[in-house]
Amino acid sequence: MSANLLSLNLVELGQFCAFLAMLVALVQGLAPVGAHAFRQPRLAQISVNASVAVFALTSLGGLSLIHAFVTSNFSVLYVTQNSNTLLPMFYKVAALWGGHEGSLYLWVWVLSLYTMIVGWHGRKQYPEHLPVILAVQGLLIVGFFGLILFLSNPFDRSFPIPADGRDLNPLLQDPGMVFHPPLLYLGYVGFSVPFAFAMTALITRWRSELWIGLIRRWALIAWGFLTTGIMLGGWWAYYELGWGGYWAWDPVENASFMPWLLGTALVHSITVQDRRRMLHAWNIFLVISTFSLSLLGTFLVRSGVLSSVHAFAVDPGRGAYILAFMTIVLTVSFGIFMLRGRFQQAEEAITSFMSRESLFVWNNVMFTVACASVLLGTLYPLALDALSGQKITVGAPYFNIVMVPIFLVIVLLMAIGPLVPWRKANLERLRARLLWPLIIGIAAALAVIFILPASHWTAPVATGIAIFALSNLITEFARAIRQRRLQLKEPLARACIKTVLGNRRHYGGMIVHFGIVIIALGLVGSGLFKSEAAVNMSPGDEVVVAGERLRFEGVTPKRGPNYNAMQGRLTLLNSGRDVRPERRQYMRQENPMTESGIDSTLLRDVYVSMSDTTGGDRWAVHVYVNPLVRFIWVGGGIILAGLFLSLSGRRRARESEALDKAVQPAK
Amino acid sequence: MRHLILLALFIVVPVFAASVTEDPLERQMLDIAKDLRCAVCQNQPISESNADLARDMRQIVREQIKAGKSREEIMSYFVDRYGDYVLLNPPKSGPGTIVWLAPIVLLLVVGISGFVFLRNRLKPTLPSAPKLSKEDAALVRAARKQENT
Repeated sequence: MSANLLSLNLVELGQFCAFLAMLVALVQGLAPVGAHAFRQPRLAQISVNASVAVFALTSLGGLSLIHAFVTSNFSVLYVTQNSNTLLPMFYKVAALWGGHEGSLYLWVWVLSLYTMIVGWHGRKQYPEHLPVILAVQGLLIVGFFGLILFLSNPFDRSFPIPADGRDLNPLLQDPGMVFHPPLLYLGYVGFSVPFAFAMTALITRWRSELWIGLIRRWALIAWGFLTTGIMLGGWWAYYELGWGGYWAWDPVENASFMPWLLGTALVHSITVQDRRRMLHAWNIFLVISTFSLSLLGTFLVRSGVLSSVHAFAVDPGRGAYILAFMTIVLTVSFGIFMLRGRFQQAEEAITSFMSRESLFVWNNVMFTVACASVLLGTLYPLALDALSGQKITVGAPYFNIVMVPIFLVIVLLMAIGPLVPWRKANLERLRARLLWPLIIGIAAALAVIFILPASHWTAPVATGIAIFALSNLITEFARAIRQRRLQLKEPLARACIKTVLGNRRHYGGMIVHFGIVIIALGLVGSGLFKSEAAVNMSPGDEVVVAGERLRFEGVTPKRGPNYNAMQGRLTLLNSGRDVRPERRQYMRQENPMTESGIDSTLLRDVYVSMSDTTGGDRWAVHVYVNPLVRFIWVGGGIILAGLFLSLSGRRRARESEALDKAVQPAK
Repeated sequence: MRHLILLALFIVVPVFAASVTEDPLERQMLDIAKDLRCAVCQNQPISESNADLARDMRQIVREQIKAGKSREEIMSYFVDRYGDYVLLNPPKSGPGTIVWLAPIVLLLVVGISGFVFLRNRLKPTLPSAPKLSKEDAALVRAARKQENT
């Protein structure tokens, strides 16, 4: 009983901490304003210290909620709605972000974490701008806490206390789900840091060459988390939803994809500004837009305007608040941008259209068009419905038709861009460098046409472009190694390692590009060469799909911690391995869930999902053979590796180059 | 339509007696069902939904294929009953026009702005120094000689 009482009071304490956090965040947001108004510069320091307090208080609130989940404290409404006593411990903790209220809490928790890290990081590096940066972050925290505490409070209690809770949405009871939302949020919220920097720069007229280098790393970190979150979401959808695919152009997926697209444009155009002092205003515009799309993404999902698996709540009060908050953030940030954007530094000129900076501009053009198209396809049906009552659907087939050509151009730019030098390219040298990769790419495209003549036009084109990009990456790296070995007479392995470590930013980026190529190949393979068969099978029946022979062995009942399942077993006669798809009935849910069975090798996945019995011992079985799916996950891993390499570079490459040059004459 | 059946046969080749093959009707049905939205579901085609409505709609597609209706006829059957909403690909006329035109317009607008941006900032590098004429070269040589002596 005493333990129960403690648990009850802990939640109250948590709620108190959350309110306190909101107030402290408000102080954090207003301190620099006060400092300015009362001409007391030291007042601004409050916001730096407050950022620690806000994080500590938000954490206490969050931990008290987790405690409520772990101890199954059903006096908390949110716990009742998203957990029950049978739920495994792992998912009890993860249930914190399994619903609307808790996931918003996670958002603000992550935001306060970032704010504290910025506060800690900036004390030495940019102390005079730090209070304003933290104030911007603080006001965002206040905005989110307002929504959480007044309109969707996870600390709300319900009396009488129910004996047991409902359940965590069974779709979400998967390890992929546990990490997908936090990573996505780390990405979304990560873009708040560049946003705060940009706002600060506009307000305090901080010259952009002084801060753009500082946000590069933050933007890359946010981009990395967002990429991982999206990849994990795809992986989760693939394993959990049972339809053999990983990306459905669902509005919720689009909501996370839009900031990714603009974020990708941003990490590229930051480089242009850093190296060539161009695109200052454009970068600020991109920073603001990327963060706005992160907000939009969160709110589209959270407000329930999209009816989709992820939307948990529909509540007009919340919708109005969200709309108002978005409007304020957009108006204020773009308003300041309009007023002050001109005061950023003057642009340098470009020398030639065939220069890396020019190709970066084209990269930005394509990513912007991609993002705007997704935005339109996602919002237009909502707007049309709201304005005229007409209902249309903009679904996956549309996005595939529109986006694939855009992505092909992007990969083509990615193939050529890194070979083109800054300022001005020597066209003859460039042509010579591109010749062999181009021939290899065209050969790959012809090979696809020849071997698989019936395929869609994108198959040879995409393969050709991807292989072209791959050959460029390889030849470019080989050229750098050869040059280094000629100069320094190093053994091959040493030269490779030294080259990569000597210019981590560049080669980190190239490894990311390599990952993109691998993903592109995976998308081509699994998107265009999927084979499937939907059949009814009795034990002993065999089915052949794309050369894979499967024998249905029958179905056995199975008991999980909080579900009963019928587990089918199919033997893959080619390899002797088996796959075990399941039909799960979670105890507190009505509809049964499919759990797919997958046999995965590097070159293909055999993916089986089982629906209902169709009489007797016959079951409806859907067999997919998806080529190259694993390329997508492997490519994701490569991207992360490249990102880590790029982030590990301490200072910009020029210094190490200068160092190399200083060493060379001595040898 | 015939090549779809052939394709289905090609994918699912019966090997020996115990093997089951996919009903070609089922493949045709799924190919149509892929592009129809389940009206009560959350952004799912009826080919993937477990909802009762989706099941009924799949059954209707099956029956209409059996009755010899074409893909277009089946699509318009559903559009008549549920409106354009049921098409996962928005219609290319009426309210859907904007969605189809927008990417092209966006590409033009953003692309042209990108081009104009670059051209406005385009400054050629300094022209390379003109070659010395023979007389001038002779003058230079003479001047150098004088300097050396």
